[in-house]
Amino acid sequence: MAPRVAIIGLASDFGCQVQVTNMEDHLLDVLGLMDLSYWQLASSGHLPDEYDVAVIEGAVTTADHAEALLKARETAAVVIAIGSCAITGGIPALAGTADYDARYGVVYGDGVAVARGRQLPAPVSSVIEVDYHVPGCPIDPAEFVTVLSRAIMGLKDDMPRDPMCAICKTQENVCFLDRGRACLGLVTRTGCTAKCVTLGRPCTGCRGISPEANIPAARLVYAEKGLDPLELDRLFDLYNAAREVVV
Amino acid sequence: MFFRVIDKERLPDLVTGLSTEYEVIAPVEKDGRFVYAPVVDPGDVRLDYDTTLLPPKKWFFPAEETLMRFRVADNEVLDDEVFAAPRVLFGLHPCDINALLLMDNVFTGRYADPYYMRRREQTLLIGVSCSPSDTCFCNVWDTNEVHWGFDVFLTDMGDRYFASCRTVKGAEILDRFVENRTVTDEDTREFQRVVHDFKDAFDRSVDTTQLPVLLDAKFDSPIWDEFGEKCLSCGACSMVCPTCYCFDVHDRLEPDQKSGVRVRTWDSCQFKEFAAVAHGQNFRDTRASRVKYRYYHKQWGYLSKFERVLCVGCGRCARACPAGINPVNVIEALQTGEVR
Repeated sequence: MAPRVAIIGLASDFGCQVQVTNMEDHLLDVLGLMDLSYWQLASSGHLPDEYDVAVIEGAVTTADHAEALLKARETAAVVIAIGSCAITGGIPALAGTADYDARYGVVYGDGVAVARGRQLPAPVSSVIEVDYHVPGCPIDPAEFVTVLSRAIMGLKDDMPRDPMCAICKTQENVCFLDRGRACLGLVTRTGCTAKCVTLGRPCTGCRGISPEANIPAARLVYAEKGLDPLELDRLFDLYNAAREVVV
Repeated sequence: MFFRVIDKERLPDLVTGLSTEYEVIAPVEKDGRFVYAPVVDPGDVRLDYDTTLLPPKKWFFPAEETLMRFRVADNEVLDDEVFAAPRVLFGLHPCDINALLLMDNVFTGRYADPYYMRRREQTLLIGVSCSPSDTCFCNVWDTNEVHWGFDVFLTDMGDRYFASCRTVKGAEILDRFVENRTVTDEDTREFQRVVHDFKDAFDRSVDTTQLPVLLDAKFDSPIWDEFGEKCLSCGACSMVCPTCYCFDVHDRLEPDQKSGVRVRTWDSCQFKEFAAVAHGQNFRDTRASRVKYRYYHKQWGYLSKFERVLCVGCGRCARACPAGINPVNVIEALQTGEVR
């Protein structure tokens, strides 16, 4: 029997769910692998009481989100986090880099409660254990399919761990650091074939900080290349502002 | 060996002629640096290049290649053919030809690799003389000279090239595609002068006396920890190295899960998982140990097997390493006990 899959969105722009619909060539193949019980973006139904795989997009920003995650963890045998928001806190976590309450007030007005139990934006892993990860902003649909099929087959999560420079070299890109421009590739989790650098933009770290990153050494590299060593830390804020709580 | 002389202004004819029967790969400019890429217009070929971002190994052992396709239902192999078009690699420097000879020891030896072999057999190599760059140190290993492994080697003599044909095929393509003449005594004298000047120009000094002994004596040196602190574990050094041959193999299923591909990708000994084995054991758990074993393999392990170090001094790692770790400063640090 095909596993029952629920796709649940928290705080995000739903871009990763859109990416799944973007894979026209393979969408039917992928849908054929599962019994899609609930897809927040593409259906008007309600989250069912039972399903096997929870696919979570978005950061945790309210108590409702946290509750939904606990329920999903209890219900599903497998939890897959997709996208930067879910995995590192992503862009939503940027809100926590200064006085969060003050920022909230600027956007929504003082004393206005638009969400019950709002909290500092945080990754899914700060609330529940995550079994599989599809990092990136947005996700690469092909990677989503690979991870989903690994989950369905019961293979272990195989999220790449190493920094990005190696794959960037294979694309024969001229290094941004050598041109005196800040790039996060040297500390960012690989697996995206260095698409941004290949297209002429430095890496912004959307796949999260590599668990093998040598951050003190990377700061020294920045200094050596004539950049401010702390620029590295500032650049992290875009996608990795909640780096202290990423599990 | 046959020798011919080609007027410099006639050289584009060779590229044009070869293009009628081969895919011609040559150094071309990319964002202010150089890459080996297919060329059609001989005007794109840049024989004044210093070095390329990736070495020529990618044309024999690509960064990613499909080894076979398979069907899931019955585990049947559907396709493991190696297709290799006739190709000419044009404009290789001596270091890169020497590097291919070192790769051959691994890929065409006891466990010959059919994918590498097939491409190697289908590819002609045309070398060209070079001049020292800021980062190369080929003279340290004597790899700025190449005696075999090429079909034709072109030595730049100002207005003409002295063409050494190492293979019959090499002499044939010259005779077929470019106007050339036999060598005169004056050409030979000029050749002798040019190659001596060339060797004199390489003056990078690194003391490699009894290097394996030095490595053994310094096995527990704290300098490895210092390099470990600098290393980013990014693997850039291995990717750009013309003699790094380690790879990983993965099976990937197609989205319909009915068939899949077995893929080979370049790997790096600087990645933590490189030496991870079952049960979570890892023989190279620390950055320091990974940097150390990179050098032990290159300057000791390979040497003990093939009587050459696994380095040709091309200097690509020196350019690519964000942290500035390279064989020259590692060897110097071992000698002085100080990381510069």
